[in-house]
Amino acid sequence: MNCSAKTPVPMGLVPGPFHARLEDLSRAKSWMDWAGHISPAVLDTAEFEYFAIRNQATLFDISPMHKYRISGPDALAVVNRLVTRDVRKIGDGRVGYAMWCDEEGMLIDDGTLFRFSATDFRLCCQERMFSWLLDAAWGFDARITDESDSIAAVALQGPTSYSVLKDAGLDVADMKPFDWREVEPGLWISRTGFTGDLGYELWVPREKALPLWDRLWEAGAIWGLRAIGYEALHIARIEAGFIAAGMDFQPVHAATRLHRGRTPIELGFGRMVDFEKGHFNGRRALLRQREGGQRYALVRLDLGGFKPAQDALVYHRKRREVGFVTSGVWSPTTKRNIALAELRAPFGVTRTSDLSAEIYVNEEGRWERRQVPVTIETKPFFANPRARATPPGAF
Amino acid sequence: MSDRFDVIVVGGGHNGLTAAAVLARKGKRVCVVEREALTGGMARTVDYAPGARGPEIAHLLYNLSPAVAKELKLSLDTRDLPTIALSPDGRHVEIAGGDLRFADGTAHPEAGAFAALHRRLVTFAGVLGQLSDAPPPSLADGLANMASLRDLGGMAKLGLDVKRMGREDMREFLRVILSNAYDLILDDLSDGPVAGALAADAVRGGWSGPRGPGSVFTLLYRMGQGGGAHLPIGGMGAVSSALETAATQAGVTMRCGSGVASVTVEDDRVRGVTLVDGTVLEARAVLSSLGALATMRLAGPAHFDIEATRRLRKMRARGTVAKLNLVLSAAPDMPGLTEAQRAGRLIVAPSATHVETAFNAVKYGRASEAPVLEAVIPSLTDPSLCEGGKHVLSVVAQYAPFEPEGGWTDTARDALRDSIVTTLKPYMPDLETLIESSDLLTPDDIARRTGAPGGHWHHGELSLDQLLTVRPVNGMSRYAFGVEGFYLCGASAHPGGDVTGSPGRNAARKLLADGVPA
Repeated sequence: MNCSAKTPVPMGLVPGPFHARLEDLSRAKSWMDWAGHISPAVLDTAEFEYFAIRNQATLFDISPMHKYRISGPDALAVVNRLVTRDVRKIGDGRVGYAMWCDEEGMLIDDGTLFRFSATDFRLCCQERMFSWLLDAAWGFDARITDESDSIAAVALQGPTSYSVLKDAGLDVADMKPFDWREVEPGLWISRTGFTGDLGYELWVPREKALPLWDRLWEAGAIWGLRAIGYEALHIARIEAGFIAAGMDFQPVHAATRLHRGRTPIELGFGRMVDFEKGHFNGRRALLRQREGGQRYALVRLDLGGFKPAQDALVYHRKRREVGFVTSGVWSPTTKRNIALAELRAPFGVTRTSDLSAEIYVNEEGRWERRQVPVTIETKPFFANPRARATPPGAF
Repeated sequence: MSDRFDVIVVGGGHNGLTAAAVLARKGKRVCVVEREALTGGMARTVDYAPGARGPEIAHLLYNLSPAVAKELKLSLDTRDLPTIALSPDGRHVEIAGGDLRFADGTAHPEAGAFAALHRRLVTFAGVLGQLSDAPPPSLADGLANMASLRDLGGMAKLGLDVKRMGREDMREFLRVILSNAYDLILDDLSDGPVAGALAADAVRGGWSGPRGPGSVFTLLYRMGQGGGAHLPIGGMGAVSSALETAATQAGVTMRCGSGVASVTVEDDRVRGVTLVDGTVLEARAVLSSLGALATMRLAGPAHFDIEATRRLRKMRARGTVAKLNLVLSAAPDMPGLTEAQRAGRLIVAPSATHVETAFNAVKYGRASEAPVLEAVIPSLTDPSLCEGGKHVLSVVAQYAPFEPEGGWTDTARDALRDSIVTTLKPYMPDLETLIESSDLLTPDDIARRTGAPGGHWHHGELSLDQLLTVRPVNGMSRYAFGVEGFYLCGASAHPGGDVTGSPGRNAARKLLADGVPA
């Protein structure tokens, strides 16, 4: 008897809900692994895709994000115990950026929290969180459902994104940033994104993914709609000052080495920690840090020169090593060399001058070292009023 | 207002009473809340029947902390009991301290080996025992402050004492400390009733056979005060009464008959408790002698970190001990034993292998068919317990599951009772004809009566992963229990169970050192 399987069980990455369209659109054939999905690093060229974010409209498949439903009478209590901010202050039909920590106050992950009602939430994040949420809900009347595979999501970002939606028959003119609602049965739209620009995220049951894509694609033709990959988004999110798991912080549950965790305070998100709302995970440890002082500071840097500073070491008075760049790119829109960097406190906290970065550049086989001046920025590098205007402009 | 206190102690067992007494003697206004009408928890003397009183659960005292006895000036009238290792062939053995001889007074061939082994074990137990009277060491703060320096000093003293035992003993200590009792015992003794009695002592109360790793530690734990068994006159309830007297004399308010329903927390601080009957008591600190998980639930998981609730949920506490309390119309005949020996601690454990085999059943949800027994007839030593020539026989029987397959039905209970009586029969031939009444407490019953998680002797397995700095769980080993002013003071905290008073005393002292919150 022939025992060999006719159709071998495939291993490795799985196609996401929009993959049929992405596969056709991909000229670069540059795929990467995002949470086990075949995800585009680039579909055409990173530059075109980046400029589409800032000047037109873009579609990016965010379905590989993990999505969890927290529902039941105690859902609010569970979520408020989990995250550092006060979820009672997020209204129904609103979205909130949220961070959650382990018992030592170290960031487990960050993500977006969608509030249907006080008894129904969706948490959307990079890291797998199912068992953690089950632990968080133990002893509470709440149910945790993993919706990662059943919900497809696509980010529509860029100045013309509102116009694309409008032409697709989805009028969201009155939606403010962080609003979210069911615009058609089964189709939820949130005014959220990872680009710092005008944009929306659309959420549908997985089987409705391709019709949604086609509808947007058709409406987007005259608005310059492009599909994009991770590389373009990476530039845009650094410009917006957003942090990424695994780069700007190490999700503490995934870190195996000691002392790799960072607190929200150290990542520059002290305002996201509400000590007055009652107990939440890591509160006592964070309180101690608030008293005792932070160990690190994640800061935004404006660097001299134009060579991207990824991984560059940061020095004080050119002698003392005080940190390193966690994410660094040349910002095409602001025409600046920008980065996020982790500095050892008190650098970045009370000592913010006399800093420089050491950037190594490979000039066709010869390494050059460039010591460039560095200044700490307190505001996002890219901030445009169009991102927040309601109703959005019809670009 | 009269219902405002500095400290409320949840549970009036020996640890709760000890904690309350220690705090009250330092001038704190303390209230002990006990669910039952009678304090004492596992150490109570109850009526088995009219005119026949006996120990309800715990029946012998062997591990009371000398520090507790001294500080609280306890005056206890106790009698030292010899241990009688009953042998199926009638060659019973009497063990008194390190002395071993046959019950008929003749010399035992292993007397020398036993004496040497006993001496070593008592030495080792004494060295380890010093860890019981203080919170487990924390090295987290290094040399940062005086308190952590004291901790380091304690550790240094332990190291020094281990060294002081001499090279040979030190090596032996380090060799056996994490190992199993079965191998340790059979290195020196043949596998008969003496080995069986030691093996049974090593695992009594635990979910373990003598071949289980860590059973040397539990044997040493039991021998922390030398291992000798004492019978309090008036039953174990006399110990609790003495503690309660010490507490009330120091000004403690006792409140029995309604348990604590919940602990009130505001701004991450304890504010008091609400009783089942609705009474609200205010306090700035609450010490709980309940199990660790039950203590967490009093305040509610919302006040604890997710890791803490997970660890507390996973703490292993499956009781394996059943208690059979019998009223006898007369003292049973025990061929081959003298009067004094009959009143002793009677062990039915024919060999160490037998103890290990008896453990098998409980792993699969059944009670041992030939259980390992520790029996005592306290009324022989303390005639005041019974009237009219009656006697009470108190039996600790192992192994019985907390959740047997099919549940604790009447059939299952009768079967366990019968197997205990049958196991005793070779040594007490007329036992069955003397039984006037019997009361069987399964681990399930003990859990319901006392609140002990799983009906467990120690409120949680005394295993290497639940000891010292990780008892009850990692991050909560020093009595402080998450919320400010909340403390654990029962057997699930360091050092563990047995009627010691140590967790209660240590927790109270920790609260005093931290200061009662303002």
